[in-house]
Amino acid sequence: MNRIELTRNPFLKSALKSRYPQLAVFIVMLIGYIFAILAGLIGTPVGSHNFSIVFVWIAWWAILILVAVPFFGRGWCAVCPIPLPGEWLQRGAVLAPPDKKPKWLNLRVPKMFRNIWMQNISFLLLALFSSVLLTTPNMTGIVLAGMLFAAIGLSMIFERRAFCRYLCPVGGFIGIYSQTAPIELRIKEKQICVTCEGKPCYNGSSAGYGCPWDVFPGGLTKNTYCGLCMECIRTCPHDNIAVNLRPFSADLAKPSTRIDEAFKAFIMLGSAMIYAAVLLGPWGTFKDAAYTVGTSAWFLYALLFLTIICGILPGFFALGILRTNSHTPIKQRFTSLSTALIPLGLMFWVAFSLSFVLTNASYIIAALSDPLGLGWNLFGTANAVWQPMLTTLLGPAQTLALVGGLIWSTRTAQKAASEVNVSSILVITYCFILTSIMLWLLL
Amino acid sequence: MKRTELFSRTLILFGIVLAVAMPLYFWNQTPLIHARIADDGGWNPDVIRAEAGKPLHLRLISDDVMHGFAVGQMDIDTVDVEPGKVTDITLTFDKPGIYTFYCTRWCGLNHWRMRGTIEVRGASSAEEIPSSIPLYVTLDLDIDALHDSPVIPSTRPSAINGQQSAMNLDIARISTSDFYKSHSPYQAFEELDSLPLTDSEKWDVVSVIWKSNTSTESLSDGKKLFAQNCAACHGENGAGDGVFADDLAAAGKDSMQTMNGAMKMSMQTPVDFTDPTRMLGSSPALLQGKVLRGGMGTGMPMWGSIFTEDQIWNLIAYLYSFQFEYEK
Amino acid sequence: MPHTPSLVHPTSRNLMTPRFSLLLSVMAGLVVAFAPLSVASTTHQERTIRIEANQFSYSPSDIQINPGDTVNIQLVSTDVVHGLYIDGYDISVEADPGQIATLTFVADKPGSFRFRCNVTCGAMHPFMIGKVTVGANHWLYRSIGLALVSVVGFFPLSTFLSQRKRKGEKDTTL
Repeated sequence: MNRIELTRNPFLKSALKSRYPQLAVFIVMLIGYIFAILAGLIGTPVGSHNFSIVFVWIAWWAILILVAVPFFGRGWCAVCPIPLPGEWLQRGAVLAPPDKKPKWLNLRVPKMFRNIWMQNISFLLLALFSSVLLTTPNMTGIVLAGMLFAAIGLSMIFERRAFCRYLCPVGGFIGIYSQTAPIELRIKEKQICVTCEGKPCYNGSSAGYGCPWDVFPGGLTKNTYCGLCMECIRTCPHDNIAVNLRPFSADLAKPSTRIDEAFKAFIMLGSAMIYAAVLLGPWGTFKDAAYTVGTSAWFLYALLFLTIICGILPGFFALGILRTNSHTPIKQRFTSLSTALIPLGLMFWVAFSLSFVLTNASYIIAALSDPLGLGWNLFGTANAVWQPMLTTLLGPAQTLALVGGLIWSTRTAQKAASEVNVSSILVITYCFILTSIMLWLLL
Repeated sequence: MKRTELFSRTLILFGIVLAVAMPLYFWNQTPLIHARIADDGGWNPDVIRAEAGKPLHLRLISDDVMHGFAVGQMDIDTVDVEPGKVTDITLTFDKPGIYTFYCTRWCGLNHWRMRGTIEVRGASSAEEIPSSIPLYVTLDLDIDALHDSPVIPSTRPSAINGQQSAMNLDIARISTSDFYKSHSPYQAFEELDSLPLTDSEKWDVVSVIWKSNTSTESLSDGKKLFAQNCAACHGENGAGDGVFADDLAAAGKDSMQTMNGAMKMSMQTPVDFTDPTRMLGSSPALLQGKVLRGGMGTGMPMWGSIFTEDQIWNLIAYLYSFQFEYEK
Repeated sequence: MPHTPSLVHPTSRNLMTPRFSLLLSVMAGLVVAFAPLSVASTTHQERTIRIEANQFSYSPSDIQINPGDTVNIQLVSTDVVHGLYIDGYDISVEADPGQIATLTFVADKPGSFRFRCNVTCGAMHPFMIGKVTVGANHWLYRSIGLALVSVVGFFPLSTFLSQRKRKGEKDTTL
């Protein structure tokens, strides 16, 4: 296992262990988030000149899908402000106090919800309204506020970060895609955990809190549910937890056996393709249907959207699986082979996002100077004109991303297929067809 | 509580309060004039107060599409009011009164309804120019009555062709500005009845008379006014086939208005200026009346407070160029 | 007497290592990506295309042009002020309803380009998009070709070949 332990570096280790640098980042993020809510609610209704639209759906999204997820896995979760007010209230403190009993209800999330189905549903719900959400500051403000209050509410009722782990629409896909990232948090030696008493990494101690993500660090083998909050590094009495640099997509070598995660792969794949067609395509009827929420056209669009994502894509995939012969049960074949769709989906989103980000990034410059559309000119750039960037690079970059994703998927499919003793050819064909469609939609 | 905890909590609370209070404060304190398409409310506020002689500083912003701002019958540079961006403009009014400000960039079918008023107070030291009574009122013209021309030319009348014949005729009486303004081309045609000319030649002479009552500059001004204000409904070539023509017809089915029970007015398709029957039967005074007063529910805007008299005469002169050939 | 592989198997098989097939695939990929495609040369015409713009689409929204043609796009806005900006060419025009605006250019860059509205015209303005293709969308074909090469070339081929090699080696050890 070629891993480089980053936390061997004493400077990095103390920076991650100390609560102060993290808190500083948290405060900045939280203020920015609240400002985005205000901007959405009272700023100009023109999306391209409103801080909430520009900094959430262009700047933040670009950083998330192009940098944070591919290179840092759940790195965004590590700095996300949404759970913070709820968590501070839940803990009764901002920085860790010595042992204090939890103040609120602290219920365990019911078993029925301890999966990512709620996150699948919340993502699909937002996706159906995305045309309105991405373009209307009001809606963005309401959704951002909604998520913040949902997180606070859930923290009052349930233990740990219930919103992050079980409801957040973004967390749903960041988790799946974090399996491809070159960073991980893992224990160093298993034997130490076996003999460890009390497991403070999970149960908390005077040095810190039990894992807010409801993960037992000693059993972490994949990135999917670890939010990189560094709490366990603070509580482990044996200094047995490390942050490592590792090859890309190391986690995909251990395919998942869960249907909810497999489904997520289809949701992300399908939504990237549908967005590419509806938002970036030349077909006005689809755009109108997607935007005019509540009309019969929109219902048809929603139906089509759900049919493609929940029916057609997994359906064809399952058909291919059925044609394979193996002793492994069909469900395991399905979940294992759908692992191949994870790198493909990530690259689909990268390719799709590159288009509207490069086209509209110039709005960021103007929005910095006049975030609310009140006529400010904080940095002198309020009159910066809209100008697409790097357009000659866009096509080649998208091809690179999509073909690269296909190669990555092919490799993943081969490895997954050999583990369940089937041929990977059908999955690879499936990936090739979808990649060709995506290329046609974007180029 | 440890000092660091106290400090952190204070910092966080302070940050949150700042993030909420600052935008609210500035939003409340910044007086902007918001432009929206008429269907969504138009100008907000739509009444502005000013004082004669004192500069009025306005900050304009659009909440949806591209708009523009100008003040009727005032010679100022029109400014664009862009979505999400604030435009500053400073106006100074010499005379008190009520001025109309309006949108100058087509923003939908009801673009022309996007108007507001600026109430300018002040000492009326300057002599108040009495507003002139429109000609159609003086002439007691019923501008809503049918005014079709009984005779129409078989070919397009040409002022170029008519130039030769017109030079040898005594048409001074019917070439005056007063005559021109108060008579339709058909009536001028009738005046030429006694002359030994073919109908076609007579129409040519009429077009010469019409051309003589305007100038290249005026026609150019009229053309520009037409393009900016009329073409969207009446069509770039005046044929009543502008981009909003269909919408007006559709709206016509939905909106019917009665005028004192006497006449039913409804949204109609915009007038076709290339139709000789209608145009040649219209005098400039009648056209001026239509333009000033609007169409009383037909969808034709009233331009009385927007254009100056000169502008309207220029526009009308241009309208006739859909009928008459003025230049090659 | 031990059989030396070189006597039993033809030399060519020893060359088909996974590394070689990888090299083959990369070369095939480069060819697909960069090999010049002959462009059918037609006489240059002047074309006028009328495009109607409304919230939030163009009509027509998918246009085909021959390379080298001089194109006049007449932009007709039918509700509010719209613009038309062509990616790649970086040129634009805007039109008020009632005033047709014309954008004239020579289609000297081949390929497929999106054109989009560059005057904020409402909520879905950033997605008001059309497509103009000058000649053929060669880059799309190349990309699909690259996808094919990568799928066929990289792994199944090398797997197949390494399986064959392994099978071949098994045969030699008797």
